Amino acid sequence: MTARVRLIPFVVVGFVACISSLLQTVSAVAQSPSARTAHLGRKSHAPAVKRSARVRAINAGEMQDLLKRDGSHPLLVNYWATWCDPCRDEFPDLVKIDKQYRAKGLDFIAISLDDLADINSAVPKFLREMKAKMPVYLLNVADPEPAINSVDRGWSGALPATFLYNNKGEVVYKHFGRIKVDELRAAIEKLVSSKQ
Amino acid sequence: MKRLYVVSLIVALAAIAIAGNARSISTDIPAAPAIGATIVDFTLPDTDGKDHALNSLKGKNGTVLIFIAVQCPISNAYNERMEKLAQDYKARGISLVGINANSTEPAADVKKHAAQNNLTFPILKDNGNKIADSLGATRTPETYFLDANNKLVYHGRIDNSRDLSQVNSSELRDALEATLAGKPVEKTTANAFGCAIKRAG
Repeated sequence: MTARVRLIPFVVVGFVACISSLLQTVSAVAQSPSARTAHLGRKSHAPAVKRSARVRAINAGEMQDLLKRDGSHPLLVNYWATWCDPCRDEFPDLVKIDKQYRAKGLDFIAISLDDLADINSAVPKFLREMKAKMPVYLLNVADPEPAINSVDRGWSGALPATFLYNNKGEVVYKHFGRIKVDELRAAIEKLVSSKQ
Repeated sequence: MKRLYVVSLIVALAAIAIAGNARSISTDIPAAPAIGATIVDFTLPDTDGKDHALNSLKGKNGTVLIFIAVQCPISNAYNERMEKLAQDYKARGISLVGINANSTEPAADVKKHAAQNNLTFPILKDNGNKIADSLGATRTPETYFLDANNKLVYHGRIDNSRDLSQVNSSELRDALEATLAGKPVEKTTANAFGCAIKRAG
Protein backbone atom coordinates (compact mmCIF):
# COMPACT_ATOMS: atom_id res chain seq x y z
CA MET A 1 0.00 0.00 0.00
CA THR A 2 2.75 2.46 1.00
CA ALA A 3 4.66 1.56 -2.14
CA ARG A 4 1.61 2.36 -4.21
CA VAL A 5 1.18 5.71 -2.45
CA ARG A 6 4.82 6.51 -3.12
CA LEU A 7 4.28 5.83 -6.84
CA ILE A 8 1.43 8.33 -7.16
CA PRO A 9 3.58 11.46 -7.72
CA PHE A 10 5.48 9.69 -10.53
CA VAL A 11 2.26 8.60 -12.21
CA VAL A 12 0.91 12.18 -12.03
CA VAL A 13 4.14 13.67 -13.41
CA GLY A 14 4.19 11.08 -16.19
CA PHE A 15 0.60 11.83 -17.12
CA VAL A 16 1.21 15.60 -17.23
CA ALA A 17 4.34 15.08 -19.37
CA CYS A 18 2.42 12.92 -21.84
CA ILE A 19 -0.40 15.44 -22.18
CA SER A 20 1.97 18.38 -22.61
CA SER A 21 4.04 16.65 -25.30
CA LEU A 22 0.83 15.67 -27.07
CA LEU A 23 -0.35 19.31 -26.98
CA GLN A 24 3.01 20.48 -28.36
CA THR A 25 2.80 18.06 -31.26
CA VAL A 26 -0.76 19.14 -32.06
CA SER A 27 0.19 22.82 -31.99
CA ALA A 28 3.29 22.26 -34.16
CA VAL A 29 1.19 20.46 -36.77
CA ALA A 30 -1.43 23.23 -36.68
CA GLN A 31 1.12 25.96 -37.42
CA SER A 32 1.71 27.29 -40.94
CA PRO A 33 4.86 25.96 -42.69
CA SER A 34 6.71 29.27 -42.20
CA ALA A 35 5.81 29.45 -38.51
CA ARG A 36 6.91 25.83 -38.13
CA THR A 37 10.28 26.57 -39.77
CA ALA A 38 10.81 29.47 -37.41
CA HIS A 39 9.91 27.25 -34.49
CA LEU A 40 12.39 24.60 -35.63
CA GLY A 41 15.04 27.26 -36.07
CA ARG A 42 14.98 28.07 -32.39
CA LYS A 43 17.75 26.07 -30.88
CA SER A 44 16.06 25.01 -27.68
CA HIS A 45 13.14 23.41 -29.52
CA ALA A 46 14.84 22.25 -32.70
CA PRO A 47 14.77 18.48 -32.84
CA ALA A 48 18.39 17.37 -33.25
CA VAL A 49 17.34 14.35 -35.27
CA LYS A 50 16.08 16.54 -38.10
CA ARG A 51 19.32 18.47 -38.34
CA SER A 52 21.58 15.43 -38.16
CA ALA A 53 19.58 13.46 -40.71
CA ARG A 54 21.37 15.38 -43.45
CA VAL A 55 23.72 13.05 -45.29
CA ARG A 56 26.69 14.29 -47.27
CA ALA A 57 28.09 12.47 -50.29
CA ILE A 58 31.86 11.90 -50.16
CA ASN A 59 34.46 10.41 -52.46
CA ALA A 60 37.23 7.97 -51.45
CA GLY A 61 39.72 10.77 -50.69
CA GLU A 62 37.26 12.61 -48.46
CA MET A 63 36.59 9.33 -46.66
CA GLN A 64 40.29 8.88 -45.97
CA ASP A 65 40.43 12.41 -44.55
CA LEU A 66 37.56 11.60 -42.20
CA LEU A 67 39.47 8.61 -40.84
CA LYS A 68 42.57 10.67 -39.97
CA ARG A 69 43.15 11.36 -36.26
CA ASP A 70 44.93 14.35 -34.77
CA GLY A 71 45.67 12.70 -31.43
CA SER A 72 42.66 14.01 -29.56
CA HIS A 73 39.83 11.51 -29.92
CA PRO A 74 39.33 7.84 -30.74
CA LEU A 75 36.99 7.16 -33.67
CA LEU A 76 34.32 4.56 -34.31
CA VAL A 77 33.31 4.02 -37.95
CA ASN A 78 30.37 1.93 -39.10
CA TYR A 79 29.90 1.04 -42.78
CA TRP A 80 26.29 0.24 -43.50
CA ALA A 81 23.40 0.53 -45.94
CA THR A 82 19.64 0.65 -45.69
CA TRP A 83 19.45 -2.43 -47.94
CA CYS A 84 21.53 -4.42 -45.44
CA ASP A 85 19.36 -6.17 -42.83
CA PRO A 86 22.06 -6.80 -40.20
CA CYS A 87 23.09 -3.14 -40.58
CA ARG A 88 19.56 -2.05 -39.77
CA ASP A 89 19.34 -4.56 -36.92
CA GLU A 90 22.51 -3.34 -35.21
CA PHE A 91 21.86 0.38 -35.68
CA PRO A 92 19.89 0.94 -32.45
CA ASP A 93 22.85 -0.46 -30.49
CA LEU A 94 25.20 1.91 -32.32
CA VAL A 95 22.94 4.87 -31.57
CA LYS A 96 23.07 3.89 -27.87
CA ILE A 97 26.85 3.59 -27.98
CA ASP A 98 27.12 7.00 -29.65
CA LYS A 99 24.89 8.54 -26.99
CA GLN A 100 26.82 6.91 -24.17
CA TYR A 101 30.39 7.56 -25.32
CA ARG A 102 30.30 10.80 -27.30
CA ALA A 103 30.50 12.86 -24.10
CA LYS A 104 33.45 10.69 -23.04
CA GLY A 105 35.37 11.73 -26.14
CA LEU A 106 34.49 9.07 -28.72
CA ASP A 107 33.94 10.37 -32.24
CA PHE A 108 31.55 8.27 -34.28
CA ILE A 109 30.77 8.47 -37.98
CA ALA A 110 28.55 6.24 -40.07
CA ILE A 111 29.34 5.75 -43.76
CA SER A 112 26.47 4.61 -45.94
CA LEU A 113 26.97 2.51 -49.07
CA ASP A 114 23.49 3.23 -50.34
CA ASP A 115 22.89 4.47 -53.86
CA LEU A 116 23.32 8.22 -54.32
CA ALA A 117 19.65 8.31 -55.40
CA ASP A 118 18.66 7.49 -51.78
CA ILE A 119 20.69 10.27 -50.13
CA ASN A 120 17.66 12.51 -49.54
CA SER A 121 15.08 9.79 -49.06
CA ALA A 122 15.65 6.28 -47.70
CA VAL A 123 18.89 7.10 -45.86
CA PRO A 124 17.73 10.16 -43.83
CA LYS A 125 14.34 8.51 -43.28
CA PHE A 126 16.03 5.54 -41.61
CA LEU A 127 18.31 7.82 -39.56
CA ARG A 128 15.32 9.79 -38.30
CA GLU A 129 13.59 6.56 -37.29
CA MET A 130 16.72 5.54 -35.41
CA LYS A 131 17.03 9.00 -33.80
CA ALA A 132 20.65 8.87 -34.98
CA LYS A 133 22.77 11.91 -34.16
CA MET A 134 26.21 10.91 -35.43
CA PRO A 135 27.49 12.48 -38.67
CA VAL A 136 26.54 10.29 -41.62
CA TYR A 137 28.18 10.28 -45.05
CA LEU A 138 27.40 8.41 -48.23
CA LEU A 139 30.38 7.02 -50.10
CA ASN A 140 29.84 7.71 -53.79
CA VAL A 141 32.41 5.86 -55.90
CA ALA A 142 32.22 4.19 -59.30
CA ASP A 143 34.67 1.48 -58.24
CA PRO A 144 34.47 0.53 -54.55
CA GLU A 145 37.73 -1.42 -54.44
CA PRO A 146 40.27 1.36 -53.76
CA ALA A 147 38.07 2.67 -50.92
CA ILE A 148 37.66 -0.80 -49.36
CA ASN A 149 41.39 -1.53 -49.59
CA SER A 150 42.30 1.87 -48.15
CA VAL A 151 40.27 1.09 -45.02
CA ASP A 152 41.60 -2.41 -44.35
CA ARG A 153 43.41 -4.98 -46.47
CA GLY A 154 41.54 -7.75 -44.67
CA TRP A 155 38.10 -6.37 -45.51
CA SER A 156 36.25 -7.86 -48.47
CA GLY A 157 33.57 -5.16 -48.49
CA ALA A 158 31.07 -7.26 -46.50
CA LEU A 159 28.50 -5.12 -44.69
CA PRO A 160 28.10 -4.17 -41.96
CA ALA A 161 31.71 -3.50 -41.01
CA THR A 162 32.80 -1.64 -37.89
CA PHE A 163 36.23 -0.23 -37.09
CA LEU A 164 37.49 1.39 -33.92
CA TYR A 165 40.57 3.63 -34.15
CA ASN A 166 42.60 5.00 -31.27
CA ASN A 167 43.49 8.71 -31.24
CA LYS A 168 46.60 7.95 -33.30
CA GLY A 169 44.44 6.52 -36.08
CA GLU A 170 45.44 2.88 -35.50
CA VAL A 171 42.74 0.20 -35.80
CA VAL A 172 42.30 -1.36 -32.36
CA TYR A 173 39.12 -3.29 -33.05
CA LYS A 174 37.26 -4.39 -36.16
CA HIS A 175 34.26 -6.52 -36.81
CA PHE A 176 32.61 -7.70 -40.02
CA GLY A 177 28.92 -8.60 -39.81
CA ARG A 178 26.53 -7.67 -37.04
CA ILE A 179 28.41 -6.18 -34.09
CA LYS A 180 28.87 -8.01 -30.82
CA VAL A 181 27.81 -5.21 -28.51
CA ASP A 182 29.69 -6.39 -25.39
CA GLU A 183 32.93 -6.87 -27.33
CA LEU A 184 32.66 -3.44 -28.94
CA ARG A 185 31.82 -1.72 -25.66
CA ALA A 186 34.82 -3.35 -23.97
CA ALA A 187 37.11 -2.12 -26.75
CA ILE A 188 35.69 1.41 -26.46
CA GLU A 189 35.98 1.37 -22.66
CA LYS A 190 39.67 0.59 -22.99
CA LEU A 191 40.18 3.64 -25.18
CA VAL A 192 38.11 6.20 -23.31
CA SER A 193 39.41 5.14 -19.90
CA SER A 194 43.10 4.96 -20.82
CA LYS A 195 43.10 8.50 -22.32
CA GLN A 196 45.65 7.33 -24.88
CA MET B 1 18.22 -4.83 -0.70
CA LYS B 2 21.51 -2.99 -0.27
CA ARG B 3 23.42 -6.28 -0.27
CA LEU B 4 21.74 -7.31 -3.51
CA TYR B 5 22.86 -4.03 -5.06
CA VAL B 6 26.48 -4.58 -3.96
CA VAL B 7 26.45 -8.16 -5.28
CA SER B 8 25.10 -7.06 -8.69
CA LEU B 9 27.70 -4.31 -8.84
CA ILE B 10 30.49 -6.82 -8.22
CA VAL B 11 29.06 -9.18 -10.86
CA ALA B 12 28.80 -6.31 -13.35
CA LEU B 13 32.38 -5.17 -12.68
CA ALA B 14 33.65 -8.74 -13.05
CA ALA B 15 31.83 -9.03 -16.38
CA ILE B 16 33.40 -5.80 -17.59
CA ALA B 17 36.86 -6.98 -16.51
CA ILE B 18 36.44 -10.29 -18.35
CA ALA B 19 35.10 -8.57 -21.47
CA GLY B 20 37.96 -6.08 -21.32
CA ASN B 21 40.47 -8.89 -21.63
CA ALA B 22 38.93 -10.12 -24.86
CA ARG B 23 41.26 -9.82 -27.85
CA SER B 24 41.03 -6.42 -29.33
CA ILE B 25 40.68 -7.39 -32.97
CA SER B 26 37.60 -9.38 -33.79
CA THR B 27 38.06 -11.38 -36.99
CA ASP B 28 36.38 -14.73 -36.50
CA ILE B 29 36.47 -15.71 -40.16
CA PRO B 30 39.52 -17.64 -41.42
CA ALA B 31 41.57 -16.03 -44.18
CA ALA B 32 40.87 -17.06 -47.77
CA PRO B 33 43.29 -19.47 -49.47
CA ALA B 34 46.06 -17.75 -51.40
CA ILE B 35 45.82 -17.45 -55.17
CA GLY B 36 47.42 -20.59 -56.59
CA ALA B 37 46.33 -22.78 -53.69
CA THR B 38 44.56 -26.03 -54.54
CA ILE B 39 41.01 -26.24 -53.24
CA VAL B 40 40.42 -29.65 -51.71
CA ASP B 41 37.37 -31.52 -52.99
CA PHE B 42 34.30 -31.13 -50.79
CA THR B 43 30.75 -32.41 -50.71
CA LEU B 44 27.62 -30.37 -50.03
CA PRO B 45 23.91 -31.10 -50.45
CA ASP B 46 21.81 -29.36 -53.09
CA THR B 47 18.45 -27.78 -52.19
CA ASP B 48 16.79 -31.22 -52.36
CA GLY B 49 19.30 -32.64 -49.90
CA LYS B 50 21.22 -34.68 -52.52
CA ASP B 51 24.99 -34.62 -51.99
CA HIS B 52 27.36 -33.42 -54.70
CA ALA B 53 31.14 -33.46 -54.69
CA LEU B 54 32.93 -30.46 -56.20
CA ASN B 55 34.77 -32.86 -58.49
CA SER B 56 31.46 -34.20 -59.87
CA LEU B 57 30.29 -30.66 -60.77
CA LYS B 58 33.50 -29.15 -62.07
CA GLY B 59 33.97 -28.24 -65.71
CA LYS B 60 36.83 -29.56 -67.79
CA ASN B 61 38.33 -26.08 -67.94
CA GLY B 62 37.43 -24.94 -64.46
CA THR B 63 34.73 -24.08 -61.95
CA VAL B 64 33.28 -20.84 -60.65
CA LEU B 65 31.95 -21.00 -57.09
CA ILE B 66 29.67 -18.10 -56.13
CA PHE B 67 28.39 -17.51 -52.62
CA ILE B 68 24.87 -16.24 -53.14
CA ALA B 69 21.89 -15.23 -51.01
CA VAL B 70 18.13 -15.25 -51.08
CA GLN B 71 17.60 -11.92 -49.37
CA CYS B 72 20.70 -9.85 -50.13
CA PRO B 73 19.78 -7.08 -52.60
CA ILE B 74 23.34 -6.98 -53.94
CA SER B 75 23.37 -10.72 -54.66
CA ASN B 76 19.93 -10.36 -56.21
CA ALA B 77 21.13 -7.52 -58.41
CA TYR B 78 23.50 -10.10 -59.94
CA ASN B 79 20.98 -12.92 -60.55
CA GLU B 80 20.73 -12.33 -64.29
CA ARG B 81 24.46 -11.74 -64.67
CA MET B 82 25.23 -14.99 -62.80
CA GLU B 83 22.83 -16.99 -64.96
CA LYS B 84 24.33 -15.45 -68.10
CA LEU B 85 27.84 -16.35 -66.93
CA ALA B 86 26.69 -19.94 -66.35
CA GLN B 87 25.16 -20.12 -69.84
CA ASP B 88 28.04 -18.36 -71.60
CA TYR B 89 30.76 -20.58 -70.17
CA LYS B 90 28.97 -23.95 -69.91
CA ALA B 91 29.71 -24.67 -73.57
CA ARG B 92 33.32 -23.61 -73.04
CA GLY B 93 33.93 -26.13 -70.27
CA ILE B 94 33.60 -23.94 -67.19
CA SER B 95 30.81 -24.75 -64.77
CA LEU B 96 29.23 -22.36 -62.30
CA VAL B 97 28.09 -23.53 -58.87
CA GLY B 98 26.17 -21.39 -56.40
CA ILE B 99 26.65 -21.88 -52.66
CA ASN B 100 24.24 -20.54 -50.06
CA ALA B 101 25.93 -20.39 -46.65
CA ASN B 102 23.43 -18.13 -44.89
CA SER B 103 22.18 -19.88 -41.77
CA THR B 104 19.03 -17.76 -41.99
CA GLU B 105 18.05 -19.15 -45.41
CA PRO B 106 16.84 -22.77 -45.40
CA ALA B 107 17.20 -25.04 -48.46
CA ALA B 108 13.49 -24.71 -49.30
CA ASP B 109 13.83 -20.90 -49.55
CA VAL B 110 16.97 -21.25 -51.66
CA LYS B 111 15.17 -23.62 -54.03
CA LYS B 112 12.14 -21.32 -54.35
CA HIS B 113 14.36 -18.27 -54.91
CA ALA B 114 16.31 -20.06 -57.66
CA ALA B 115 13.09 -21.04 -59.44
CA GLN B 116 11.64 -17.52 -59.17
CA ASN B 117 14.81 -15.97 -60.55
CA ASN B 118 15.45 -18.57 -63.26
CA LEU B 119 18.79 -19.65 -61.81
CA THR B 120 19.50 -22.94 -63.59
CA PHE B 121 23.02 -23.61 -62.29
CA PRO B 122 23.40 -26.01 -59.34
CA ILE B 123 23.08 -24.41 -55.90
CA LEU B 124 24.49 -26.13 -52.85
CA LYS B 125 23.56 -25.49 -49.24
CA ASP B 126 26.55 -24.97 -46.94
CA ASN B 127 24.96 -25.82 -43.61
CA GLY B 128 27.14 -24.68 -40.72
CA ASN B 129 29.15 -22.57 -43.23
CA LYS B 130 32.01 -25.10 -43.29
CA ILE B 131 32.95 -24.41 -46.89
CA ALA B 132 32.51 -20.65 -46.46
CA ASP B 133 34.97 -20.94 -43.56
CA SER B 134 37.47 -23.04 -45.47
CA LEU B 135 37.34 -20.59 -48.39
CA GLY B 136 37.30 -17.52 -46.14
CA ALA B 137 34.11 -16.30 -47.82
CA THR B 138 32.56 -13.28 -46.11
CA ARG B 139 29.96 -11.74 -48.37
CA THR B 140 27.42 -12.30 -51.11
CA PRO B 141 28.07 -12.31 -53.96
CA GLU B 142 31.67 -13.51 -53.67
CA THR B 143 33.30 -15.66 -56.33
CA TYR B 144 36.15 -18.18 -56.53
CA PHE B 145 37.40 -19.35 -59.90
CA LEU B 146 39.24 -22.66 -59.85
CA ASP B 147 41.12 -23.86 -62.90
CA ALA B 148 40.91 -27.39 -64.32
CA ASN B 149 43.15 -28.62 -61.48
CA ASN B 150 41.09 -26.90 -58.76
CA LYS B 151 43.77 -24.26 -58.28
CA LEU B 152 42.38 -20.90 -57.19
CA VAL B 153 43.12 -18.39 -59.95
CA TYR B 154 40.67 -15.57 -59.10
CA HIS B 155 38.84 -14.59 -55.91
CA GLY B 156 36.52 -11.62 -55.54
CA ARG B 157 33.73 -9.70 -57.17
CA ILE B 158 31.91 -10.38 -60.40
CA ASP B 159 32.39 -6.80 -61.60
CA ASN B 160 32.67 -3.25 -60.23
CA SER B 161 29.02 -2.28 -59.85
CA ARG B 162 25.71 -3.78 -58.81
CA ASP B 163 24.18 -1.26 -61.22
CA LEU B 164 24.63 -2.89 -64.63
CA SER B 165 24.77 0.50 -66.40
CA GLN B 166 27.83 1.46 -64.30
CA VAL B 167 29.87 -1.68 -65.01
CA ASN B 168 33.21 -0.89 -66.63
CA SER B 169 35.41 -3.69 -65.30
CA SER B 170 34.42 -7.37 -65.23
CA GLU B 171 37.20 -9.08 -63.33
CA LEU B 172 35.59 -12.53 -63.17
CA ARG B 173 34.92 -12.67 -66.93
CA ASP B 174 38.45 -11.39 -67.59
CA ALA B 175 39.85 -14.21 -65.42
CA LEU B 176 37.75 -16.82 -67.24
CA GLU B 177 38.78 -15.51 -70.66
CA ALA B 178 42.46 -15.39 -69.71
CA THR B 179 42.39 -18.95 -68.39
CA LEU B 180 40.57 -20.25 -71.49
CA ALA B 181 43.18 -18.52 -73.63
CA GLY B 182 45.97 -20.15 -71.60
CA LYS B 183 47.15 -16.80 -70.28
CA PRO B 184 47.80 -15.80 -66.67
CA VAL B 185 45.03 -13.90 -64.90
CA GLU B 186 46.06 -10.23 -64.58
CA LYS B 187 43.85 -9.18 -61.69
CA THR B 188 43.55 -12.10 -59.28
CA THR B 189 41.45 -10.39 -56.59
CA ALA B 190 38.97 -7.51 -56.49
CA ASN B 191 36.63 -6.37 -53.75
CA ALA B 192 33.14 -4.88 -53.74
CA PHE B 193 30.52 -4.09 -51.15
CA GLY B 194 28.11 -6.92 -50.39
CA CYS B 195 26.06 -8.52 -47.65
CA ALA B 196 27.91 -10.29 -44.86
CA ILE B 197 27.32 -14.06 -44.93
CA LYS B 198 25.07 -14.87 -41.99
CA ARG B 199 27.04 -17.56 -40.24
CA ALA B 200 25.56 -20.04 -37.80
CA GLY B 201 25.98 -19.40 -34.07
